[in-house]
Amino acid sequence: MKRLAAVVTLASLAAVTACSGGGTTNQSGSGGGGGLFTTIDVNRPGLEPSAPANPYAPKGNSFVGYNAMNIAWVNNHLTDPNQALPGIAASWEIAPDNSSITLKLQPNAKWSDGKSVTAEDVRFSIGVAYTQGSTAFSTTPGAAGAAAEVTVVDNTTVKITQDMANPSPKFARGVFDTIVLPAHVWSSVLPADFWDKLKASRGEGADAEKAREEILALGAKVLAFAPPKDVSAGPFVLERVNPGEALLVKNKNFFNAANVAPSQVKFLNYTGNEQIWNYLSSGKLDHSGFVAAPTDVMNRIKAAPGSEVIKGYSPVAVGLAFNQSKKPYDNVHVRRGLAYLINREEVTKVASPEGGTAATTTSGIHQKAAQAWIPETVGELEPYKTDVAKAEEEFKAAGLTKKDGKWTLADGKPWKMSMHAPSGFSDWLSAQENIKSQLIKAGVDAEVVTTTDYPLYLEELAAGKYDAGFWLMALGPAPYDIFQRLYGASNGWANVAGKVSHSPAGKSGNWMGGAEEIEVDGAKINPGELTGKLNSSTADEAKPIMAQLAKAANQDLPVIQLWDYVNNQFVNNSRFTGWPHDDEILRSGAKVLLSGVWIQTGMIKAKK
Amino acid sequence: MTPIAKRLAGHLARGFVMILVVATISFFIINNIPGDPMAARFEELIEQGASPEAAAQSVKVLYGFQPDGSMWQQYLDYMAGLFRLDLGQSVTRPGTPVLDVLLEKAKWTVLPVLIGTLVSFLVGIILGVYAAIKRTGKLGDALAISGSLLHGIPQYVLAMLLVVIFATLIPILPADGPVDILFEPGFNAGYIGSLAEHAVLPVVTYALSAYGGWILAMKSSVVTVLGDDFILAAELRGMKRSIVFRYIARNAILPLFTILALSLGLLMGGAVFIEKIFNYPGLGLLLIDSVNERDYATMGGAFLLITGAIIIANIVADLFYTVIDPRVRSGEESA
Amino acid sequence: MSATLIPEAASATGTIRRNFWRGVWRVMKRKPSRMAGVIICAGFAFMGVFGPMFYPGNLPGDANQITQPPSWAHWFGTDPQGRDVLALVITGSRYVLLCAAVTAVITVVVGTSLGLFSGFKRGRWDTVLMRITDMKLTIPGLPLLLVLATVWKFGSPIQMGLVLGLLGWGGVARAVRAQTLSLRERGFIEAARGLGLSTRHIVSRELLPSMAPYIAMNMLISVTGAVYAQVGLFFLGVLPYESDNWGVMLNLAVFQAGAMIQPNALGYLMAPLLAILLLTLGIVLVVDAMDEIFNPRLREE
Repeated sequence: MKRLAAVVTLASLAAVTACSGGGTTNQSGSGGGGGLFTTIDVNRPGLEPSAPANPYAPKGNSFVGYNAMNIAWVNNHLTDPNQALPGIAASWEIAPDNSSITLKLQPNAKWSDGKSVTAEDVRFSIGVAYTQGSTAFSTTPGAAGAAAEVTVVDNTTVKITQDMANPSPKFARGVFDTIVLPAHVWSSVLPADFWDKLKASRGEGADAEKAREEILALGAKVLAFAPPKDVSAGPFVLERVNPGEALLVKNKNFFNAANVAPSQVKFLNYTGNEQIWNYLSSGKLDHSGFVAAPTDVMNRIKAAPGSEVIKGYSPVAVGLAFNQSKKPYDNVHVRRGLAYLINREEVTKVASPEGGTAATTTSGIHQKAAQAWIPETVGELEPYKTDVAKAEEEFKAAGLTKKDGKWTLADGKPWKMSMHAPSGFSDWLSAQENIKSQLIKAGVDAEVVTTTDYPLYLEELAAGKYDAGFWLMALGPAPYDIFQRLYGASNGWANVAGKVSHSPAGKSGNWMGGAEEIEVDGAKINPGELTGKLNSSTADEAKPIMAQLAKAANQDLPVIQLWDYVNNQFVNNSRFTGWPHDDEILRSGAKVLLSGVWIQTGMIKAKK
Repeated sequence: MTPIAKRLAGHLARGFVMILVVATISFFIINNIPGDPMAARFEELIEQGASPEAAAQSVKVLYGFQPDGSMWQQYLDYMAGLFRLDLGQSVTRPGTPVLDVLLEKAKWTVLPVLIGTLVSFLVGIILGVYAAIKRTGKLGDALAISGSLLHGIPQYVLAMLLVVIFATLIPILPADGPVDILFEPGFNAGYIGSLAEHAVLPVVTYALSAYGGWILAMKSSVVTVLGDDFILAAELRGMKRSIVFRYIARNAILPLFTILALSLGLLMGGAVFIEKIFNYPGLGLLLIDSVNERDYATMGGAFLLITGAIIIANIVADLFYTVIDPRVRSGEESA
Repeated sequence: MSATLIPEAASATGTIRRNFWRGVWRVMKRKPSRMAGVIICAGFAFMGVFGPMFYPGNLPGDANQITQPPSWAHWFGTDPQGRDVLALVITGSRYVLLCAAVTAVITVVVGTSLGLFSGFKRGRWDTVLMRITDMKLTIPGLPLLLVLATVWKFGSPIQMGLVLGLLGWGGVARAVRAQTLSLRERGFIEAARGLGLSTRHIVSRELLPSMAPYIAMNMLISVTGAVYAQVGLFFLGVLPYESDNWGVMLNLAVFQAGAMIQPNALGYLMAPLLAILLLTLGIVLVVDAMDEIFNPRLREE
């Protein structure tokens, strides 16, 4: 019997090993002097051993910054969206009127199979970007900041012009954010007549519509594409993936290989935050991006040998958003009263002590960005410091009455504020629990409900089922991106081809249900139209509009801004040093893994 | 037809119908799940720094696929696919057939559950005989109560207690996934050793929670056999104790093999909590993750595989019962 | 004729019942652990019914006392909202036990009636009912609940109990049917019928009482099953929740407070775990006693 069990055990082990795939480790790491670098992709739980090295596949084993390269790495600038570090492009020139950008590629850029990275590769990659949707490369008719023409000037020069019919100040950013793919490996995903199709899709009418659909269908093909092996222009190339890790080894052909310190990189698998906390507090990771963690866990992480938490700016804030179709939240005095009641310092202390700073007020903008954009206006905004007397005044102004220490609606019916947050968002859950306690203490009956997951939460929120829910806001750096969270589609304003239209509450995704025109300092404004304007304004044009919108958000309170996020980067100095502390390079575009950017530019040095 | 063949045919037909029913149920449940995965993906992308326009389009490419035809037509297509073992394509892993995903994950579920089941079976039956024979003594009593208790404690409670004790308070065993990463997969000592080390806590959890059931079942089976006339006759005839013991053990263990076959059906779906707590990337976690991502095809496939395994195990168990039980073998239905 | 016989039969069952209760007392008395089991179960019932009354509806939290380790003021420490963990366990018990009670009632009522009906009628109805029961027993509970939870939001304790009860009656139905059949084989029912007793009388006066301890045992087992299933689902975080219960505590302890990493939150994790362990122990001990009362083979002479 016992022998049988042992045989079965061995057999199952063999099965596991056999299925896990293999491949031989080639010792390609040389130079730089560092050994293994361990990190994690905080945006993607669960490594998939069978997923291809395709940067567009949601679970693909392509790590942007490591074995996938962008044209350039956008910076985390407070106001300018077009600042970047060189990637495949060594330098660039942006036309003064933003009408074009000319990229100069790295002269020594090579793929890991030895072929050169050419201007044709970049053009091909832009073609692929069209199928996936991108700010600059979009087939949506009239999209702001879309490219008009992609021209290969010479083998290392590419010029991209912007369609000036509806220009956007973040055009260059859209170009930088493009992933560069090896055309000689990927060529099969785009048909030979792709560029003609693209041209056809620009027009109007049935033919253009058909061309757009064909391009969208190509998108599915791109997502499913599996290159036979990883061909990378980045500092590393994928070696193998098993359920515990993805292993990358140094790409000898990388143009800056001499300054790349680690010889190998490991991405650890994880399924939940608590696992990352564990890795960090045992000092296993050399770097990890932002993960929310409770104070005690944070203290353990800081206590790990060599551990350091670099705090930076993150253009994200969270607010409690109201559904103004529901009573009494349609009344601005109720919203203001609640803003006076909720102690944001306490909420932040309980919910996100390390990952957030209590919002100084509701402006719709992160407090740091607000200081950079509209310093004069910030002082004029009502700070909504916790003040019970003022809250009661506002409630009375809204016609609410207090009976037996409890506030009731104007018609005498009981008032119970119901808040929702999705399960798994631990900071939001903590916050709503704390707000509930604060409100009940002040005589406003409240309840909290946890929705099972994010997709369901967003659907129910959009369907107007909640009184109030947590909502990400202030998503910078571009001014339009910041304010469309408050005065965009979720509040009724759709922006199609630069034309802004308003739908009534409950229609076309308008769940906030705010008024189309609101009074700010005695004048009526249409905040949605102003926000739409931001999409094509220069920085100087944007400032007065942003000041107006910040005041609108502050006086009308579609949301109560609770806290502004802090960008914690977890690093460990035991094996590598040279970690940047400059805010601007502590965050980059979507999907970009920062430590890869730091390593490839030679900032990170092996500890001697 | 022989009675056994007839029975087999009946079971297969019933199992087939069951699988169709389960597939139907899962198809309709899954097509009615509320939630907006596109909105969730959109929010994630813009939080990571994508512009709203780019995020919107990229979401459309990923989730924009609309299945053709009416619900009824989709249902027929789904069922037709099932016959070709085609469970569709995973939404969040474009280009990957669901079946491939399932098989990749299945081994991480099967590994701890299979070892745990076999270990607990062996220990459970040995101690079960002991508990039955000594059932009037203190030790037998303690064994029985410990069995009931372990049988009663939910798996996740055991798992969490073990993690707290052996991974947090006295950190001697890992609880952070199926294997350490330093080792290259393959038949090398490091990798296998790491697999084994990481499997200790999940296997022990599974074995402990299953052990209670085995000891109880074995005890009651032995008690039943002890009451049988032939044992009494053997004892009266003055047979050696060891021979009597062998009689007892052999007759008592037969029904347990049936239960063993049944519990092997749980191989696929029996470890949701263990996978969650020990971070094993198995089928249970896949089911939860695919619900959260609204990866409909994967969700349906995982549910079907978990259920199908149990249905098949039921058929096997019943056939096994047919073979060992002479009453059933002769074609007589047992009540 | 029959008129004179019925009182006799009634008095006979009366004697049996009196002996039965005496047997119960004897079984209980022999092992003090069984008494302990009864006391634990009664304690939990008391906690579920009256416990929450000792606390305000909204437990006060202290933002300066977040996730504290156990102390004199807070025996199991505080949660990430600065609330007393012990108070959370006690107020949370109502949800858990109410749901379990609903499950138990549904399991027993549906399971017993279907089992009796099936075993009593036999024939075609029996076949159909048992096929359905087989099917229910085959589909694994937890994966099914995971999938069901996505379409049906059973967040409240009553709804939750309803779902668990409707999924859980299969075992009881089958066991009761087997009991009915075995009583039937012993000529029990035929004899009663021969005496001219109505079906209703046979079921309510003869069959049910002899099966009562067995059913009660199954009820207790289904109580534990319901507690585990709902706590487990909340622990996995697949159900919406409005109020605190043990599963939510476990979920937040592990995934929000990091109880498996930092010892300060250990009390928050251990308190609901200990509550579940204690409840399990109580029920196991009571079931052990019942098992002996019911199963003559285990009865030690």
